[in-house]
Amino acid sequence: MVVRVAIVVALLGLVITLGLAFRRDPHDIRTGTVGKPAPAFTLQRLDGSGDVALADLSGKVVVVNFFASWCLPCTEENPALVRVYERYRSSNVVMLGVNYQESRENGLAYVRRMGMGWTTVADTDGRVALSYGVFGPPETFFIGPDGVIAGRHIGPIDEATLVTGIETLRTRAAR
Amino acid sequence: MNGRVLVAIALLVLAGALVFAARPHEATADERIDQITTELRCPVCQGLSVKDSTSETARQMRDLVAQRVREGKTNAEIEAEFRTAYGDWIFLSPPLSSWSGLVWLVPVAVIAAGLGLVSARLRGPGAPAPTAPSAAQVAALRERVAREEAAEG
Repeated sequence: MVVRVAIVVALLGLVITLGLAFRRDPHDIRTGTVGKPAPAFTLQRLDGSGDVALADLSGKVVVVNFFASWCLPCTEENPALVRVYERYRSSNVVMLGVNYQESRENGLAYVRRMGMGWTTVADTDGRVALSYGVFGPPETFFIGPDGVIAGRHIGPIDEATLVTGIETLRTRAAR
Repeated sequence: MNGRVLVAIALLVLAGALVFAARPHEATADERIDQITTELRCPVCQGLSVKDSTSETARQMRDLVAQRVREGKTNAEIEAEFRTAYGDWIFLSPPLSSWSGLVWLVPVAVIAAGLGLVSARLRGPGAPAPTAPSAAQVAALRERVAREEAAEG
């Protein structure tokens, strides 16, 4: 009797554990940075026209997208990024592209070729990517006006996910 | 006598050398970088440490560790920086003190429970405790013995 109860409890535990694990979106990996203040950084613009500091964007919704020209999924997600940039370019939403593990020349050529009108910066030594816990591009972080990372998306992102992430933060900020 | 003295001296020298070699010493910067990067998982590899990986990400992580060591940060502080960014996942051996430590504890608990069950099964339900016969049983037994003795006599 005791053995049967033990087996039923073990199977129940297994089913609950698997159920919870499979319910999660694999693109929404909650590593250490989500829910915490976004690591501060100052990086040089890809076109060399000065620096960009995250601190200067305080009070705005910031979408930080790590990308590289050698990353095929980055090319796949780019049209969605362009559409969302056009939609929010005159609002308090700032899109910031962080070029990942690549020469400034290649990064800049890619930005021009892909029509990326938003600000792009070079993370030449990879320190910013490491501080955000980036596994590899593309990865997108949603930072609220309070400077806290509200969400993270690993892999190519679509327009709906971008808009949902942005609108959630805008609604929260408006309250 | 001389031979014994020589052996004693040789043993003393050997013991001294062993104690000297095994003495606790402060790890050098390179040793500390090796220690830390051996424990860190390369985020873009399959089960490789940052020390063993040749990827660009691992190289950048090694550079960061080296810089933090030069800045005078302790191993714990450097590891905490990576934990903040990547969670406990970044360690090849999950720390016991967090939820990830369950990967160490659960197998031990399951094995202990299994051994307990097997041991309980092997012992079986156990023999019933002997009880004293009732007066009627004793009387019937005596009567039977008397009958058998009379038959034999």
